[in-house]
Amino acid sequence: MAKKKSLTAKKKVTPKRPMIIVGMGTCGLGAGAKAVLESIEKELKKQKQTADVISTGCIGLCSHEVLVDVAMPDYSRVTYSKVKPDIIPQIIEEHVGKGNVVKKYAISQMPLNGRGVKQYRDLPLFDELDQNKNQVKVVTKNCGIINPEDIDEYIMSGGYKALEKILTKMTPKDVITEIGKSGLRGRGGGGFDTGWKWESTAKYVADQKYIICNADEGDPGAFMDRSLMEGDPHALLEGMVIGGYATGSTSGYIYIRAEYPLAIERLKIAIRQAKERGYLGKNILNTKYSLDIIIKEGAGAFVCGESTALQFSIEGKRGMPRTRPPQSVEAGLWDKPTCLNNVETFANVPIIINQGAAWYSKIGTEKSKGTKIFALTGNIKHAGLIEVPMGITVREIVFDIGGGVPKKKKFKAVQIGGPSGGCLPESYLDSPIDYESLKSAGAMMGSGSLVVVDETTCMVDMARFFLDFCTNESCGKCPPCRVGTVLMLDILNRITQGEGKEEDLDVLEKMSDEVRTMSLCGLGQSAPNPVKSTIRYFRDEYLAHIRDKECPTATCVALHKYTVISDKCTKCTLCIKNCPVDAISGSREEAAFIDKEKCIECNLCYDKCNFMAIK
Amino acid sequence: MINLKIDNKVVSVPKGTNIFKAAKDNGIYIPGLCYHPKLTQYGGCRLCMVEVTERGRSRHRFSCAQPVAEGMVVKTKTPETEKYTKSVMEYLLAHHPLDCPTCDKSGECGLQEVTHDLKLKPGRFKSARLDEPMRRDNPLLEYNSNRCILCSRCVKVCKEIAGVAAIDYQNRGFKTVIGTAFDKPLDCSFCGGCVSVCPTGSWQDRTLKFKARPWELKKTPTICTYCAVGCSLVINTKDKEVMRVTADENINLGINESNLCVKGKFGHEFINSDKRIKTPLIKKGGKLRPASWEDALEHISNRFREIIEKSGGNAIGGIGSEKCTNEDNYLFQKLCRTVLGTNNVDNISNMKSPSLNRLINNSVAYGMASTSLEGIENADTVFFVGADISEAHPVVGSMVRKAIRVNKTKVIIANVRNVEFGCETKNLLRLNYKLGTQTTLINAMMKVIVDEKLVNLKKAADKTENFNELLSSLRSSELGIKKVSKATNIPEDSINAAATSIAKAGNCYVICGKDIEEDPSGEETIEALMNLCALVNKGDSDKVSIVFSRENNNSQGVNDMGVVPEFLPGYLDINDPENREVVEGAWGAKLSSDPLEQKSGDIFDRAVKKKIKALYVMGENPIVNYPNGKKVKDAFKKAEFIVVQDSFLTETAQLADVVLPSSTFVEKGGTFTNMVMTVQRLHKAIPQVGDSKPDWQIICALAEKMGHEYHYTTSKDIVDEIGKGVPIYEGIEVNRLRRKGFHWILSLYYKTKAERYQFEITSKKTSAIKSNKKYPFILLTGSSLRHQGTYSRYSESLVSLASECFVEINRKDAKKAKITDGDNVKIESAQGNIKLNVKTTSRVPEGVAFISEDYEWVPVNNLRGDGYTNVKISKTK
Repeated sequence: MAKKKSLTAKKKVTPKRPMIIVGMGTCGLGAGAKAVLESIEKELKKQKQTADVISTGCIGLCSHEVLVDVAMPDYSRVTYSKVKPDIIPQIIEEHVGKGNVVKKYAISQMPLNGRGVKQYRDLPLFDELDQNKNQVKVVTKNCGIINPEDIDEYIMSGGYKALEKILTKMTPKDVITEIGKSGLRGRGGGGFDTGWKWESTAKYVADQKYIICNADEGDPGAFMDRSLMEGDPHALLEGMVIGGYATGSTSGYIYIRAEYPLAIERLKIAIRQAKERGYLGKNILNTKYSLDIIIKEGAGAFVCGESTALQFSIEGKRGMPRTRPPQSVEAGLWDKPTCLNNVETFANVPIIINQGAAWYSKIGTEKSKGTKIFALTGNIKHAGLIEVPMGITVREIVFDIGGGVPKKKKFKAVQIGGPSGGCLPESYLDSPIDYESLKSAGAMMGSGSLVVVDETTCMVDMARFFLDFCTNESCGKCPPCRVGTVLMLDILNRITQGEGKEEDLDVLEKMSDEVRTMSLCGLGQSAPNPVKSTIRYFRDEYLAHIRDKECPTATCVALHKYTVISDKCTKCTLCIKNCPVDAISGSREEAAFIDKEKCIECNLCYDKCNFMAIK
Repeated sequence: MINLKIDNKVVSVPKGTNIFKAAKDNGIYIPGLCYHPKLTQYGGCRLCMVEVTERGRSRHRFSCAQPVAEGMVVKTKTPETEKYTKSVMEYLLAHHPLDCPTCDKSGECGLQEVTHDLKLKPGRFKSARLDEPMRRDNPLLEYNSNRCILCSRCVKVCKEIAGVAAIDYQNRGFKTVIGTAFDKPLDCSFCGGCVSVCPTGSWQDRTLKFKARPWELKKTPTICTYCAVGCSLVINTKDKEVMRVTADENINLGINESNLCVKGKFGHEFINSDKRIKTPLIKKGGKLRPASWEDALEHISNRFREIIEKSGGNAIGGIGSEKCTNEDNYLFQKLCRTVLGTNNVDNISNMKSPSLNRLINNSVAYGMASTSLEGIENADTVFFVGADISEAHPVVGSMVRKAIRVNKTKVIIANVRNVEFGCETKNLLRLNYKLGTQTTLINAMMKVIVDEKLVNLKKAADKTENFNELLSSLRSSELGIKKVSKATNIPEDSINAAATSIAKAGNCYVICGKDIEEDPSGEETIEALMNLCALVNKGDSDKVSIVFSRENNNSQGVNDMGVVPEFLPGYLDINDPENREVVEGAWGAKLSSDPLEQKSGDIFDRAVKKKIKALYVMGENPIVNYPNGKKVKDAFKKAEFIVVQDSFLTETAQLADVVLPSSTFVEKGGTFTNMVMTVQRLHKAIPQVGDSKPDWQIICALAEKMGHEYHYTTSKDIVDEIGKGVPIYEGIEVNRLRRKGFHWILSLYYKTKAERYQFEITSKKTSAIKSNKKYPFILLTGSSLRHQGTYSRYSESLVSLASECFVEINRKDAKKAKITDGDNVKIESAQGNIKLNVKTTSRVPEGVAFISEDYEWVPVNNLRGDGYTNVKISKTK
């Protein structure tokens, strides 16, 4: 074992120096992490302080970005939220310089392995924060903790142990059995049994076999895969190599959307580092097994997340799903047996190997094992990335972890699974989240986007939005999806413009069924889900649009009546100031009033009103 | 075979068949618009839903995507499937413009048919249509995306059958349309496959546009008159006029499986061209003037008699036709040999490559000749030697592509030029040899096989006559692989790989092309090639078969029929007294007893020497088609009397004293023999145009005029005589030809055992042809996809599609000579010169100028003499 030395990580971090860790995931960068990082470096120089400045991935508290952690020697790591460059001098002066936590910005602290033993008083622990309490961080345990661009940090946190274990102690069959026993199911949305899929791939004999990671995360509001790849790219690689070994694959592809430049960059670094250390490439860890992983950037088609379309795209063809059989495991990429899994699925694999199937299958429900990462967005207090055990209720996610709906508004529904999923109303708040329950409720796991909707959202409009997305993203292959969804969208448009007819609902429901049954791929089959589920749970809202020509949430512009609801009017006179034709009268004392004669229905007053007082 | 039940009918189909095809083949209807049996499965129209019950579980399945399984129970029509299928049709019709009154497809439209079959009622939707402009950027095809249902058939036909991939999808979702890359004008082989397979009116044949409705068209299947593949096509006529050509009447019609090329599909306008000669013409005062048949025949018979009396029968030379039927040619040589009493009958293919008949007959005698072109689809390796298949025999190209798709066939292309062959395979090996080294290449491949013992050499030695002679010839130091690689300019690996694939292939087709056959050293190359095939066949098992390409639709037949000086019909040696006796007995007439004078060259050589005084030309235009332009013109100038039988006033006809109008292939019955000796029957589709007559009728009339009685009332009578008197055509029956072609090689193989192979050792040292300083380019000529002789010249659409013949030269040469694409240049040889525009390309090697010889109005033969022609190219001012 000539390369044995590579198995131990080199310790780069000097324990006796302060550490400053900046969240540099896409969420952090979007919030201005780069400027923060620059000002940290500038400020350290200026104040003549020394510290290791480390960038990391997303820790999940996306609504708190930019996050800066400071860890003094012997003390626990303190997290500062919503950091702007202008408070950096103060943090460095107080905390790095004098060792005092700047309480005003600090939200939590977390102990560090073998390092941060001493804790600060009056600062909650990170795991005890409201939004983290109900979470179980298994897959995302490294995200936001380690430096994703440094393989040693991954190795120090137990990385590549699973790979070493399977290559030296387990046969491919053992690996498949272990994964099968764990009950791991595909995290891309379908929930297909991973062990079974690997077994099917392994069964076929061919000169070439492929293992593909589907990182074409295209759902609006989904960013689980991105965060994982940005925060812990090596976990994905390790999972893929294990999968490749188990299925007998000869090369691997990561199909990632080009809109994820940071993830691509970090994966490239990770691949390079893994190759240098012998975890990837020829004769991995000096065994007979070799696997090379190639990054293929997608060109931005949502449908390329469908497995067969994805394979065509890798082949350089137009991304269009094909009919099955043959299944990919028999003849997929370049007509060779191909195993395709999602990023999150692969990231689960090393954990299962390390901790054992028995440990893993204790988490979750009877049929859905382990944890699931969700991207929690929409009208919610703590938007971000969460990892929860399967079987958790919607209520726990929305109200405990997410902190509920902000601005004292009422919760209305949650859209699970993106444009292919469905929405669940308040009555389903206590239903558990697992593959089967979601399906029976008319939603689906999807890749894991969770959009919370409050009372101000029009459900017809939301259905229209998601359907519009699917219509534009259809590949054009089959008529139900290409034409059918356009016809459905047509009807929805009519409804939102007050031109709906009562029989439209019946037609929409029938079409939902027809499009689902007759479409070729998952995109078309699930495209009507938002429409179907909103009609199922919010039929009244549709009827209000159709019968009363009224949008209950006053979202649909064409249905605006341009009258002021005097109860809600706070007499702020903002609408009066903005009306271009002086059609609104009123004052600080008197509620506004819109003169219909003068009104040109420009919708400015509605847009400006902060209190939903105009409908 | 798999047994299953479809709609209570038990059917048995091969494994791997899908339910849709299984149902269709058994007469059960399932609606569907995207599946086509000759294309790969797509599954995009979503109309073919059926209910499948397997192991007690019933599920909905799309029948084109679901392979059959033992014990499956399929219901094609349940309330559910009907409901869902109707819904999809409803979507499609909401999208379709429903402009049927102005659509040429109306009446044969798949969308109309399914609408009718499903008994659709008015739908639930307002329309959701596209409003894209019609694409009309070429003279033949137009595309209307508004009517398109995106079934993908055209995209697949273009990629899989034509190998062009000119069109593909554009955009996404509702806006998806079919289009070309970057919306450039359509640039493809114009095979019209897209029109044939389109289930809607999206792709239209512009030559038909609004001239006829489908139900008005009378359809007559017949055989194509262009190249030697012998494609079946369907002539669509209205009011005695040909409106269009189709091939999709029956799926897999003919050996071409309904595939056509641009000439077959669109090159029919010559039939009703107003340039047709409609009456006989007699030259008076230097001008051809209309005359009656009576006068014309009288004039001819008088002049022929005069010449026979004065100089003997051998003073008349007859040129038979590669385009006329076997019957025409049979009677032509019969007339020449008996009535006129001459043995000077020949055809241009034989004049171009005089050894080819002997070589082909050898390949038949040794049992190596291929018996069918369809067999290509089972080939494991296809070896093109000097064959420009995409230009010369495009439909064979489609067959090879099918083989690649179905069989993962390996393709080896050996040629001087980097000829085009579009296909989706990684198994394509190119051997672009230097001109003149082709024989060396073949011999080197043999040496590899022998040295590496890729076949059982002992077996080969036992089964052949002179194996040791071959071995010793292969020992020549000239054939060392390094030396050969250098001489031919082909990497060693490629030579080894090619030899290995031919020796190891399960089933190999060698297709020898015109570039070899008409090469000055063609004979020895073909001999070497046959040695190679024999080496593998005898050393292993008979798995290599060889196809010699022929140029025209009946180039094989004209030779079979004895329009060759030394052979009576069926390749009977004319000098054999026994043969003469038999034929004289059968024909009841004396054959000319004049000795053959082949040493003094061909008919034109003798005409130049004034030994031949009269020329009788049937359906040929040698003034342009004979390679040596100077010689042929001289011959015609010196001839005292010239008779030309043709449909058009060609350059040759213009020189004639009497021109007789002959009918084209759609106006007569008869048979054509294709290049693998399959005899196929023609069917008369329209009455004769003008006063024209089928050639055999003209010959009969002339024979009668000259005092011989030819009792043939129909062409069938002639076939009967051929069947009785021509040994290789023994047993041919007109009525059987209606269903299936007659393969004369096959019947020969049944009757006779293959001869023991005798290697023909070619020891001549060959080396690359060098150009000289004065004329730095070597002129190569070849076939063209879009033109072929007189017929395409008078088909307006083809001419507007390809209006110009280019001289192709290598980009590097062009750069050296400061010539750019499109420049007008003068091409000069020792014999003459012509002017053409230049196309710079990388398809021809440096030092070579390539001109297609199929543009009849371009007299390429002005440049050519005998042997290779050296030319120089200079810009015109």
